[in-house]
Amino acid sequence: MAAKGLLRAEEVYHDPTRRVRELRAKGKKVIGYPCVYVPLELLAALDIVPYRICGEMREPVTEADRVLPASFCPIMRSCLDCSLKGRHDFLDGTITVHASDPQEKTARIWQSYTRLPYFHFIDMPGTTRTEALEYFASQLDGMVTTLETFSGKKLSADRLNKAIEAYNQQRLLVQSLFELTKPSPPLVSGTEIVKVIKAVMSLPVDEGNQLLNEVLEEVKARKEKPQAKRARLLLWGSTTDDAAVMSILESNANVVFAEDCAGYRPYRGKVIVATDEVMALAIHYLLEITCARTFVQSTATPTKKDYQQDLQGRYGYLKSIISDWKIDGVILLLVRYCDPFAFEVPAVKDYFASLGIPATYIEYDYTEGSLAPMRTRVEAFLETIG
Amino acid sequence: MAEASPLHHLYFAGIDIGSTMTKAVIIDAAGAVIAAIKGPTGAEHRHLANEVMAKALESAGLKLEEIFRIVATGYGRFNVPFADEHITELSCHARGVYHVFPGARTVVDIGGQDAKCLKVREGRLVDFAMNDKCAAGTGRFLELTAQSLGVGLEGLAALSQKATKPVEISNMCTIFAQQEVVMRLSQGERIEDIIAGLHRALAERVAALARRLGVEPEVVLTGGVAKNAGMVQAMRAALGCDLLVPPEPLLTGALGAALLAKEHTERLLAQGKPLEVKARRLEKATFYTGG
Repeated sequence: MAAKGLLRAEEVYHDPTRRVRELRAKGKKVIGYPCVYVPLELLAALDIVPYRICGEMREPVTEADRVLPASFCPIMRSCLDCSLKGRHDFLDGTITVHASDPQEKTARIWQSYTRLPYFHFIDMPGTTRTEALEYFASQLDGMVTTLETFSGKKLSADRLNKAIEAYNQQRLLVQSLFELTKPSPPLVSGTEIVKVIKAVMSLPVDEGNQLLNEVLEEVKARKEKPQAKRARLLLWGSTTDDAAVMSILESNANVVFAEDCAGYRPYRGKVIVATDEVMALAIHYLLEITCARTFVQSTATPTKKDYQQDLQGRYGYLKSIISDWKIDGVILLLVRYCDPFAFEVPAVKDYFASLGIPATYIEYDYTEGSLAPMRTRVEAFLETIG
Repeated sequence: MAEASPLHHLYFAGIDIGSTMTKAVIIDAAGAVIAAIKGPTGAEHRHLANEVMAKALESAGLKLEEIFRIVATGYGRFNVPFADEHITELSCHARGVYHVFPGARTVVDIGGQDAKCLKVREGRLVDFAMNDKCAAGTGRFLELTAQSLGVGLEGLAALSQKATKPVEISNMCTIFAQQEVVMRLSQGERIEDIIAGLHRALAERVAALARRLGVEPEVVLTGGVAKNAGMVQAMRAALGCDLLVPPEPLLTGALGAALLAKEHTERLLAQGKPLEVKARRLEKATFYTGG
């Protein structure tokens, strides 16, 4: 009998490529993506399995150093390194996004050195203006064309709507999972959530949804709950997909909300189809994914510059998280050289300060060696908030 | 007065295991220091926090059973088997410095492996910034460059006082800075000016860290680097304000740990909780390995 729920999540977390390798052996096409701006619905609708490419903190970067400069996003560096070492040899292709310069530049190197049959690069617009949205939708049309050529299939509205439905279901399930961290003690720990989400990102959508349903059922019913610790924390940052990092943050606290690209962020909101499916995807991905790389222009005061209103426009969504999840403090956690997020740190800190919420900024170099200093910083932060 | 306190017969200890030095302080119920011991953390001493503690007990003329509560701090604070609690060195320094300088609002601590700036309100840590790059901006930077100049740590302060024109050291990477030092020497610069330049470079870097947090007087400098008068002078210049240095700048962490142990006990007493002495033995420290 195969493992279920949290046990299954644990299995997939530790061996994330196993299932997609099996599927590939059965003739399925698998496409990897490192960034949550890729509309997975378009892949699923063409019977392609999307696989989230993550870095591996424990694997020393050796191969990628031949082709990448030194001061560079350690996660992209690690993703490429693993690919060059053949860890992603089950992939038929990659889809990358201009979410950051490291990703754009790495994409090209990826293509040159791995020579996978399929390669697509999404030129992600940098703002949320109407013309940006139209441009993004046209980029997605272009992606549909290359995917159709690659798969030899035609995208049907019916299949696409089914895929949208399945991913909306997935969003709802992850949102439900985070509902279970609202009580104190939370019904599920931040460390468990990291494992579940990484597993979901490594499975086809229907299997991910099944896993989420099992996990929800299991954690609601189980007797042994996580303990309530010293404080309830919000994690804000780029990507924290390693359970060891999360368990350092959770040594003396409960991370009850993870606002990052391996946490809640990819699962916020839903795709609402009015008439055009691709436009609906463009609206959701451009406007609902709160990645720091997209410049959210202030709608409140187009002419009069008001810093507080500007902050409210950019980070207003964090306010209800603070109150609904009863957050005591915020950890702003970034890997070194994550420029898009690092540029946001002063402003987002100002926003948390305006809400009266203590926040601390921690940068780490994506190695295990950075965990002990991280622990000291987190503990010192907890000591400041009492 | 110790006699007036219901805790008068009790003693408290703080042990601070830093990357370079291990420090232990024992205080009495009035908060007076009755023993203060320093010893190298060093590779072979790494697990011998128990020996430093034993020396402190000997110096105080006390037995282990007479210590009511022990707080461990510093990067080796985890799993000190004879400690009751571990608290970060940041909170302990904040508390220890407050004991020496009650007006302290900013603490700059430059240790062997990191530099940190603390914002302090009445002995409580309210905010902090730590260097998160590498050995740049730490005591290790000075130690290694002093070594390559062949003067040793002790020589730094005296030599820097004789500088006439400090040289510009632009590279704060410990390895590259050493190369820069060698280059400066070959250009015929005086060793005194090079050392003063190193102090200035390190001070500028730490001052930038402090400015991120906001520097409010009184400002206190602690950690091993505070024993170097040349560095204190350079820090004053870099921060552009006066700087207080405790008589024992290495010990404020351990002192703070002991004071926090005492205050915890006072809180228990105020809550009417029974005071029970934990049975313990001085065992070797084991170190946190991240797993």
